[in-house]
Formats: sequence, structure tokens, C-alpha cells
Amino acid sequence: MKKENSQNGITLEAPFQDPPRYPRHVQVVMKGNYAAAEAARLCRAGFIPAYPITPQTTIVERLSEMVAEGKLDATYINMDSEHSVFAAAMGAAIGGERVFTATAGNGLFYAHEVLQAIAHFRLPMVMCNVGRPSIPWNIWSDQSDSLSQRDTGWIQLYGESSQEVLDTIIQAYVLTEKLQIPVMVVLDAFYQSHTSENVWLPDQNLVDRFLPPIQPGPMSIDLKQPKSFGGLMPPEHYNRLNYSYWKTVNQTEALSGKIAADFGAHFGRMYDNVEAVNIGSHTRLVLVTLSSITSTARGVIRDYPEIGLLKLRLFKPFPKEAVKKALAPLSKDAAIAIVERNFLGDNEGAIMQEMKRALYGSHYKMYDFFAGLGGKDVPPETIEKIIHRAFHQPEAVNWIDVG
Amino acid sequence: MLEIRGHARGGQGMVTAFEILAKIFSKLDNFQVQAFPAFGVERTGAPIQAFLRVAKKEILNRSNIYHPHLVVVFDESLLDQVPVFDGLEEGGAVLINTERPASSLAIPGKTAYTVPATRISLELGLGSKSLPIINAAMIGALARIFEVSLELVQEAIRANVPAKPEANMEAAARALRSVSGANGRNPFLIESLHAQPEKENRKVEDLSFDIPAEINGMEAPYWSAPLSNNKTGNWRLITPSYEERPAPCNSSCPAGTDVRGFVRLTSEQQFDKALELISRHNPFPSICGRVCPNFCEQNCNRNELDRGLNIGAIERFLGDRALDAKVEPAPVRHKERIAVIGSGPAGLTAGLRLCEKGYAVTVFEALPQAGGMMRAGIPRFRLPDEVLGQEIRRIEQRGVKIVLNKKVNVEELASSFDIVIAATGSHVGSPLRIDGEEFARDGLNFLREFKLDHDADGLHQGQEVAIIGGGNTAIDVARTVLRLGAMPTIYYRRTIKEMPAIAQEVKEALLEGVKIEFLVAPIALAPAGPAKVALTLTQMEMGEPDESGRRRPIPVSGSERTILADRVIKAIGQRSDLFALGQQPVEPQQGYIELESGTSVFCAGDMAWGGTVTEAIGSGNKVAEEVHAYLRGKPYHEQETLPEIVLPKDINYAYYLPMPRHYNKLHHPKSLTGDFTEVTRGMDEQEVIAETSRCLHCGECFNCGNCYNFCPDAAIHVDEEGRLRIDYDYCKGCGICVQECPCSAMQFQLTEAVS
Amino acid sequence: MKPALEFLIKDEKVYSGALSCRGCGWSLLVRHLASILGENTVYVAPASCFSIISGPYPLRELQANLVHTVFAAAPATATGVRAALDRQGKKDTTVVILAGDGGTFDIGLQALSGAAARNENLLYIVNNNGAYMNTGIQTSTATPYGAVTTTNPGKGFKRAWPKDLMGIVAAHNMPYAATASLAFLEDLRRKVEKAKNTQGFRLLMIDGPCPPGHKTDPAESIHIGRMAVETRLFPLFEMERQHYTINYRPEKYIPVEECMKYQGRFKHLFAPENKYMIDEVQAHTDQYWVRLEALEEM
Repeated sequence: MKKENSQNGITLEAPFQDPPRYPRHVQVVMKGNYAAAEAARLCRAGFIPAYPITPQTTIVERLSEMVAEGKLDATYINMDSEHSVFAAAMGAAIGGERVFTATAGNGLFYAHEVLQAIAHFRLPMVMCNVGRPSIPWNIWSDQSDSLSQRDTGWIQLYGESSQEVLDTIIQAYVLTEKLQIPVMVVLDAFYQSHTSENVWLPDQNLVDRFLPPIQPGPMSIDLKQPKSFGGLMPPEHYNRLNYSYWKTVNQTEALSGKIAADFGAHFGRMYDNVEAVNIGSHTRLVLVTLSSITSTARGVIRDYPEIGLLKLRLFKPFPKEAVKKALAPLSKDAAIAIVERNFLGDNEGAIMQEMKRALYGSHYKMYDFFAGLGGKDVPPETIEKIIHRAFHQPEAVNWIDVG
Repeated sequence: MLEIRGHARGGQGMVTAFEILAKIFSKLDNFQVQAFPAFGVERTGAPIQAFLRVAKKEILNRSNIYHPHLVVVFDESLLDQVPVFDGLEEGGAVLINTERPASSLAIPGKTAYTVPATRISLELGLGSKSLPIINAAMIGALARIFEVSLELVQEAIRANVPAKPEANMEAAARALRSVSGANGRNPFLIESLHAQPEKENRKVEDLSFDIPAEINGMEAPYWSAPLSNNKTGNWRLITPSYEERPAPCNSSCPAGTDVRGFVRLTSEQQFDKALELISRHNPFPSICGRVCPNFCEQNCNRNELDRGLNIGAIERFLGDRALDAKVEPAPVRHKERIAVIGSGPAGLTAGLRLCEKGYAVTVFEALPQAGGMMRAGIPRFRLPDEVLGQEIRRIEQRGVKIVLNKKVNVEELASSFDIVIAATGSHVGSPLRIDGEEFARDGLNFLREFKLDHDADGLHQGQEVAIIGGGNTAIDVARTVLRLGAMPTIYYRRTIKEMPAIAQEVKEALLEGVKIEFLVAPIALAPAGPAKVALTLTQMEMGEPDESGRRRPIPVSGSERTILADRVIKAIGQRSDLFALGQQPVEPQQGYIELESGTSVFCAGDMAWGGTVTEAIGSGNKVAEEVHAYLRGKPYHEQETLPEIVLPKDINYAYYLPMPRHYNKLHHPKSLTGDFTEVTRGMDEQEVIAETSRCLHCGECFNCGNCYNFCPDAAIHVDEEGRLRIDYDYCKGCGICVQECPCSAMQFQLTEAVS
Repeated sequence: MKPALEFLIKDEKVYSGALSCRGCGWSLLVRHLASILGENTVYVAPASCFSIISGPYPLRELQANLVHTVFAAAPATATGVRAALDRQGKKDTTVVILAGDGGTFDIGLQALSGAAARNENLLYIVNNNGAYMNTGIQTSTATPYGAVTTTNPGKGFKRAWPKDLMGIVAAHNMPYAATASLAFLEDLRRKVEKAKNTQGFRLLMIDGPCPPGHKTDPAESIHIGRMAVETRLFPLFEMERQHYTINYRPEKYIPVEECMKYQGRFKHLFAPENKYMIDEVQAHTDQYWVRLEALEEM
């Protein structure tokens, strides 16, 4: 299995890409958290309720600096909890403002109730979640927090790099304001949040042309035409409301794809809802990843011509069509190995659950790999181990590096 | 399987009732049961639903009941508000809580049962009038329909009703016996109870999955339709309304004056209208404003707070403004001629009223001046001659003829007049019934001779005058004596509390220097020397109350003493001179009296009842009506007993601030000798208006706005004419408006009574 | 006749038809608030009876915007609304929180404290009826000592003292806070006006009648409220920063039982074996009044 040349002429070791250069951007080296803060600034977020929590804190710190220094015209408020952060976000969104905030782990768990409310109020906003677990105290990289909130009604997008986080936040505002459904952009603790890397910052006017100012939506306060928002809704009407939500959320995958394409045309960087790497009829194994592990996996599979990679960027609502399309070239005996940096108290991880749902009735062999929980590092060797196991009597669900 | 659907109002106990019924059925024959409410968000009083399923086998349905075999209606008013009979099975039945018999509710193809559950529950004190709790009664009625034994029902109630179990058990028993329509047994119900239908009651009418096109747009949880689409008036069980009630001032005025009305008009500075209102009942406002003991003020609900209104001063102000007013004569329309004997307040009032009704009236007066006791018995310093003169002048100008110096009896007049009214008052002093009675002068006689003939009985400076009695005559005599320069002492056998004289007069007398000794009674009089009288007195003490309610004074033995006085004047009461009735043996009483001679005679005034000017006026008013009815051949009806008078308990004193009463100023010179100036002065316009603002407006809305300000349901508004109105579409019947109405001008009624 | 114009509410800003129980304080309170605050107001309501009273879909009681929000964070939502309005230059608007005692004393206390400490430009109205009435009369930390609720039933009646919310509020050094009673409408309306015209965080605590919860006759709602003030169980006072003013001094000393006797939730306290608890309430009430007078003197 080791680095053999393929017989069918596929280039094995593709040359490393030269870093691209983007006009009307400046290149900086910055941490993922700062990239997120820069994105909020570029999107001209008007209301930022904040509460510190590791490893998100530097996002709101940076934003408070920007506001204090006059670089961002926003109302920045130090709230008393994440619960209040999101409740305030809700109020400002009903008030018609573009809202940004960030949280992590316990903060997200604490806000759970309000996340539900914001989504079902159909309010547009973007928040950044830096994934970490809860008690017993652990502040390191883990996606159990955001993935456990997948049923709150928020759209979830995961970024692989600081650049992608920045770019995704810009796209997320277009998406949320079109659909009137809130969007969560997720990055990994430390491996992204606190990792300084090259980021191309677009010029403000470039962003402004892509993201027009927020327009009042149906859920916006109009002093001339007063309304009641979110009071008691009897069963028959509640059904209607959910039906409408369902109709809208079903448009996410297509719209998100279109916004990504528009973004590509506008900024020169293209992301899709999913990204397929080396997936063809020759591919014997596909690794499925979210966020930063993707980069490491990309590096490892360079050595394996028969191994492909499926990166999920849009996670909620799950991009069923894109996943199916990406995997369509696979042969009958190909296998899929899913890397889960989450544990939700069930046999399988969250990604496996969604993949099975998307691929119901398909012929793929699917193996689940719990790896990197609570910040446990996932180096290339771990990916190698996963690959090895995937080819040698894998269990349906496998734990890596335990003990 | 049997399916029952109930309709009630939140708080009536239906959900509990269905739960208890489920327990009863389960005990009855091991039935499978399922009882549950349609859980709504509405509150007490709002229409709600509950469901009960009973089956021999397992129940495989956990949804609402749409096709019940039996519909139970806990509140009759729901029939008009909720489609209670929707989906009721053919052959099914309804049970309604109503007073109406079942036969009045013909529902084709269905059996009707009724039960007066509300009445039964209220009789047993279950719940309140605004929310009777009727669950036990309804269980009893249902037990009757399903032929369940009372023992089983009562056992279940005892086990499941924590409050008042005995009363609830009794309610069930009474209801079970009171079901109307129960003779028509409904076999379908019993059948359904025992039969397990092959197919459950399922009626799928709509097989489509179509979604209305209008839902394709964005639906978000915002809305803006006005809540007034929700008519909460149908929650109401008790209904408030504006309802005027009589004020105690009005009700206590013997003349029948609308006191509250004239006080209000005065407060609005509509003085002429105010006087006009008084004059409907009282031709002597200036006099009554001076000498009436003010029954109105005594009964004024403001006494509870500080002091009653100075109504006399207000009335006097109004009367005095019009003393010299011109009066047009009333045209004579009837042929009957009427004679009145006596020109006192009763006689003149009766004369005036009949004159105004179109009769020719002649009043005969034995004395040289008209006015009766007002003229002969009330001293000038209380009632100036010109006031009396002007008020009598108005009556004469109206057309009443007064013949003076003519002492007549009814028989003399019978030939020339169709009707004779005897109103000769009570001018004869009562005897002391003690030894030496003849040495005491009669008080009334003294006052009359002094007033009409200026005969002061030779009294002069420095003489001692003993006056026996405690009424107004005693006080008037004493104050007159004082003004003649003599020194009066009143001897009264009870205490100041029991004194029948007007309290203000007593106060003034004491202020002027009249001495009063209480708890002393005369036991003998005898001459002492050439010009003095020896008066033997005994000390008294207060014993048990007598039939009049006053405590009876008892002599203290061995306490006798004798004093010397220049004059002893008795003033212990008076009675009527029955000369006018021709000394026929008859007891004078109000209205028509039968004389042996057969002459049509009516009685009024002091000789019939009362003893004050105002009572005499009332008597005069009344006798005029009696005479008029008699002459016109119509039955005379006493004015109906008034509905509940507003009492202090009905007043919400929280809304009235204490405000000091305005008192009349008094004429109080250094020396009274020879000074017969009127003692009590009138109040000026400003004081009078200020005094009217103290009125509580008992029983009459004065637009304070409490009902409006406190209505939680925004169900009171002001109509185009500026009147407060209740919007029954929204009024839930909480009762706050009635409770917070300061003056008891709003009442509660059971809702059915309001259309 | 006085002209209707002299009535307290000149212009009704609520629709009739509220889903409140008979004799409920919420609807009366909201009528008066709305008539003063007008249409340029955004109300924010956490879970409470008012969530229901104010109208289910598609109806609304208030003739102004009303945002329903989560139980624990109404002041936070209001913070967001206020910020949005301010950013849009709509300075002549009032953002008002309408909360019950549960949403204030208990679950919402943190958010309240946060907003108060930030001195957000918000008006907080707490209708304190002393229990979770919307869920069916459960104990809150505002529930009076000795009261019966469904979670302090029968002999298990409450034996803990209610929180002194006004004391907690005072600790935030707020520009304006006051207590008010529906039985004293002029006072209440003056305070609402004053609060409306004050910048920063303001709080009004209203003594809220609740016939089903207090086990009272709906018609007595106002009378009992008046007695609560007259017995000093619910003193009327206001605080500007640290300055206290007592707004109403009862003329007579009326024992607390004169207010408690109307309320079924205190019925058991009148049994001989529990009578000492009324004495405790009296002592507590007297002590509170002494403290208030001392604070006023400062």
C-alpha cells in the first residue's frame, strides 16, 4: 500500500502549489481568531454582544479593540453570559442590525435555548464557534459542541484554514440574510484559533460590493407598523411555521453553493459545500473530514493515489446532494473512513450519522474513526493509522490512540 | 366504547369531574378509561373542553373526541358561543346545566337531559357566585344517566375532592335526583358503553395532502391583528351595570326632597334648577334650611368619614336667593273646592299642591297670622318673620286663599267644601301630672303669646326661670327668656345624649348662657311667697331602656331638693286640639278619616304624625295626593318601598379625603338682652359650593372614572354623550368596577339577567 | 359632571380582549403603561402570564411592538433592541421589559443585574404577584413568607423570606427605581412618566394582584392592593441613585393581617398554631419600614 505508482497514469506526487496572490487584498499572517474578527469587521457587523470563553476570547477581544479604535462602527456590549449574548443578539437582529458574536464549548451549550429561539424566530446573524468540549474541563479542540447543536436550526459551516474562516464568514452573511436563518461558522481550537498563518485580507470595498447593507426582514421591528414577535403559537399555526422553515432550509445547499461560486468569481478563492480530492473509480478509500484535520489528511493522501478525501464545509443542513455527487465516481468496493472529532454519546459520531443518512441504500463500506477528542493531536501518523486500519479488518466504529 | 365530550368554563371543575368519572367507571365494572382536557391557554371563565373515553377493552386512540356519544355542557351560555353539538352521534345525548326542563331543548335525533347544577352548587356553597364549582353536581347527573349508584359516586367524590367533601357529595345526590329528561333512557349510550365497535369511529373526510398556496411564502412568528377580535365578554358569569340607588339623605327627608340632586346642581352652580328641584317637594326651603333638624345630614354617609354635609345651609342659601321671587297663580281646572284647617307647614303644603293640581283651596287659620307653629312656636332669632312671610306669600300668590282669625271645625265647612283637610298641628302642652301643676306655665303658650302679642309675661332682668323638658320648645323658651334678661335653667330628666332637641340648638343655648341640669325631674310645685314658685326636684339615674329604646330614668330615692324660681315653665311635649274634628271620637291619622258625621275629612301634619316642619311638609304632600286620588276616583298608592338605600358599608371611603364641614357663623353679641337677631347666619356662595364638594354622591354616578381607570379589560368607555358605558363584548365580570365605585352607583347581576 | 377628559387614560393604547383571568393585574398595568409610553415603544417580554395575556397568534393586545423572548434573558434581548434603535438614530423610543417575579427574582436575575450594572437605557417593569402563576402557582423567591403555593402546598407552606429585590436593585446604583401599586394609579402613572423620562436603567416593581394565585375575589384586586400599601406590606417608595423617598405614609397603623385575611394563600396562618407567623410578618414589615425611613433620612 506504500506510495506505489498508479498504473493508470494518475500523477502521484502532485507538485506543491505555489501560493496564490490576490489583487485588492493584503497578505497578513494572523491567527484564525483574528481572521474571524477581521471578517466581522469587513462585513460591517453593527452589533456585537460579547462574553469571554477560551479559546474564543481573542475574537471578541480583537473586536473590542477595533470598536475602541474606531476601525469598526459597531455597538459592542460586554454581556453577562452567553445566554445573554445570544438573547441580545436576538434583540438587535429583530431591531434590524447585522449581528456578529463568537463563543465556544460551554458558552454554546449555555446558549442552546436561545439558539433555538433565534433560528425559529428566523433571524439572520452569524456567529463563530471555536470548538471545545465541556466538563470535565477541557479547552482543547473538539467539535462535540457545535455538532451537538446541529438540531437547533442553525446552518453550520466549517472552515479548514484561517483564510477559509474569513471567507466563509463573508459568505455566511449573504446566506443568512437571504434565507433568514442564522449561520454558525466553526473553527478548531488552537490548531486554527491560535495558529498564525497567511491570510489574504480583502479590501473593504471588495467586500462591500459582495455583501450589501442589511435590509429589514419580515422579523424586523417597524415602529410605524407594530407587531408582536414570537408570542404564543397554537398547534395549527405552529405547523405552518415549521413547514415554511423546512421549505427554506431545503434551499440552503443550492444557495450556499451558488454563493460560494459567486464568491470565487468575486474574490478568486473558491470553496464548495464539500470538496472532493482524488475521488475516482480508482479510489479505494475516502477519508471524510471537517476543519483542520482536512489539511493534515490532504498531506497524507498525497502519498496514496488510491485514497481520496471528502471535506465537508457545509454540515447543517447536511449537503446530501453534494456528498452523493462527490462520491458517485467510486467503485463498488471502495470504502469510506470518517474521522470524528466529536463524541455525542452514541455508537457512531455525528459525521457518520449524517453520512449514512445521505448515503442510505448505497453500497459503500463505511467505517467510523474517533480521533482527536478533547484536543488530542491528530498528526499525519494518526491519519496513517486510520488508513491502515481501514484496509485491515476495520470495525464499524474504531477508536484511535486510546490508552 | 363510549366517548363523552365536555364543554365548560375554566375554573368550573370539569377536568376534575371527568377524572372522577373515569375513576367511577373503572370501579364500576373494570372499564378501561381515558380522561383528559384539551389543554388551552385561556384563563378562568374562558370556554374549555375535556374528553372521556370508556370501553370494555383497551382504548387505542389518544386524540381528541370529534364524534361524541354524549356532550356535556357545564355552562348554558356556551350554547351560543361554542359549537358544542358538533359531531354529536345520531342517537346520542346532551346533558346541559340549566334551570330549563329537558323538554325545552328538542334536538332532533338526540336525547336531552338537563340539571340545575349551578343552583344546587350555590345552595351548598360550592364556589362563588361569579364562579360556581359544579363538578360534583355534574357527576351526580351523569351518574343518573348511566344508572350508576349514588354510593359509588359519593365514595369517589369523598376520595377525590379535598375541599368540602360533604357538600360535594350532597350536590351529587341532589343533582342525581334533579335530572330532567332522565325518564327517557338512552339505550344508545349504555350500548356504546358496553359494545366494542368493530371499527372505531373514524371518519376520514379529507384524504388530500394539499398545502394551501398562501403558505408558500416566508412564514415567521410575527403578527398584528387586534386582540379585540377576541371577545372575552363570553367568559362573564356575573355582569356589572350602572344602577342608581337612593341616597340616605333623600330617603330620610320626610318631605321627600331630592337632596343629592339639589346638592349636585348647587355644586354645578345651577342654583335656580337646584331650587326648582327642592320646590317640587318643599315650598319652604328657607324655613327648612333654618329649622329642620336635618334628617338628611344626620343620615349622611359622610358622618362615617368626618361630618355630614351642612345641607341646611345649602338649602337656606338656595331658598334665600329666591325669597322675593314672583310667582304666577296656578289656573283652577277642577270644580271641587277644598278647605284646609290650619295654615302650618302641613296645611299650606297640602293647599299649595292641590292648588297646583287645579283646585280652588281655602286655608282657615284660627290665629291672626298664618304659619302655624312656624309662626307661633319658633322664635324670631331662629326664624325671622320676613322669611316666613315671603314663603307664605309665594303660596298665596300661587292661588291659595288664607282666611285668618277663623277657628272652624269640619262640620261647619262640610256644606261649602267638597273636601276638608284638618291640619291643626299640636299646640296644646302636655301636663306634668304632678302636684301644683297649675303653678307652671305652658311653654308653647308662652312662646305664642310672646311672638304674636309681645307678651313677655312680665319677665324682667335678673329673674330665675325654671324650664322643665328637653325638647325644642324647652330650648326655645329658655333662649327667649334669656333675651328677656331673665336667667333660665332647664331641668331635664335624662342626659344630654337623650335630649330630643336639635343638638345644634342645645349647643347654641349653652353657648348663650342657658343652664341645663340633667338627670333631674320635678315632683311637686307649690307657691312660695307672693311671686315665686317652689319646685321640688328629684335626682334621676339611667335605668334599662324603655320601649322607645331610650334608657328609662329612675328617681334616686332621698335625693329630693326644692328650689325657688320666679317662673316655672313646662315644655315636656304637646298634643293636638281636636276641636277641628268637632270633638268626634276619632284618632287623627294621615289621610282619609271616617267621622261619625260622614264628612269627607283628611288629616295631615302634627296631628297625624311627626313633629317637625319637614315632616309636616311631607305629610302635606302626601295628603294632597290622597285627596287628588280620592276626588279623581283613582286608587292612591303609597310610594313603593325604595330599593336598597346606600349605607356606609356600600361606600368606598378610600376615595374620599377628609374635608372639614363648613359651619354657619353665629350671631353672638356680648349681651343678648333684647336682641332677637337671627342667631345662625347663612353661608355665602363660595362656602356653599365648597360644602357641596363634600358630597359623596351616594348611589349616583359622578363620573369619577374609577370604573374606567381600574377596568383591567379596557371594557369601559365614554360614549358620545360623555357617559360611562360598559362594553359587554369584553367585560369578563371581575367586579372591580363595582367594588371600586366610590358611591355604590354600580351593581352586579347574574349574567342571564342582562340582555 | 366631570368631563371624561379627566380620566387617567386619555388614549387607549391596548386592544380589549386580553387573555387574562378576571381581576388580573397584568392587563390593568399594561393599559396604564401603554397609555403613557405610547406607540414609540418596544416591549420585551420573557415568559410570564403576559406571554399569553398579550395575545396568541394572530392577535396582539399592545398597539406597539412586542418582542417575546426566553425566560432568563429579557434584559439582554432588550439591550439588543435598544442598541439597534440607537444605531438607527431612533432615540425617542422607549424599550420596556415586562416581566413577572419568576423572570426577575429567579431565572432572570443575572440578566437583570447585567443590564442594570451596564446601566442600559431600559425600563424594567416587574409585575410581582409572588409566584409562578403562568405555570399554575409555584413558589418563586418572591413568594411571601407563609404563603401556600402548589410547590409549597398545605402544611408545607413557604417558610423562607422573599428576596428584597429593591435592595438588590439599589446595590446597582441605578438612576431610578420605584415600587408602585395599581391601587394608587396616580402615583403609579407619575412613576412611569418619570421612568420614561429618565435615561439609563430604571425599574418599577408593581404589586400584582392575581385572584387565582392569591386565592382572592377578583373584585377585591384593587382593594387588597390598597391594603398592602396601607399595612406597609408593600411600601411605595422610589430611589434615585442612593436617595430614597417614601411616597406614601399610611395615616394609621394597620396590622398586616388586615391585608392577609383577604387572601386564601394565607388562610392557614390564621389557625392558632400558625398565628406566630403573622407576628413574624408584622415584625419583618415594621423593620422594613424603619429601615426605609432610615434610608430616606440619609
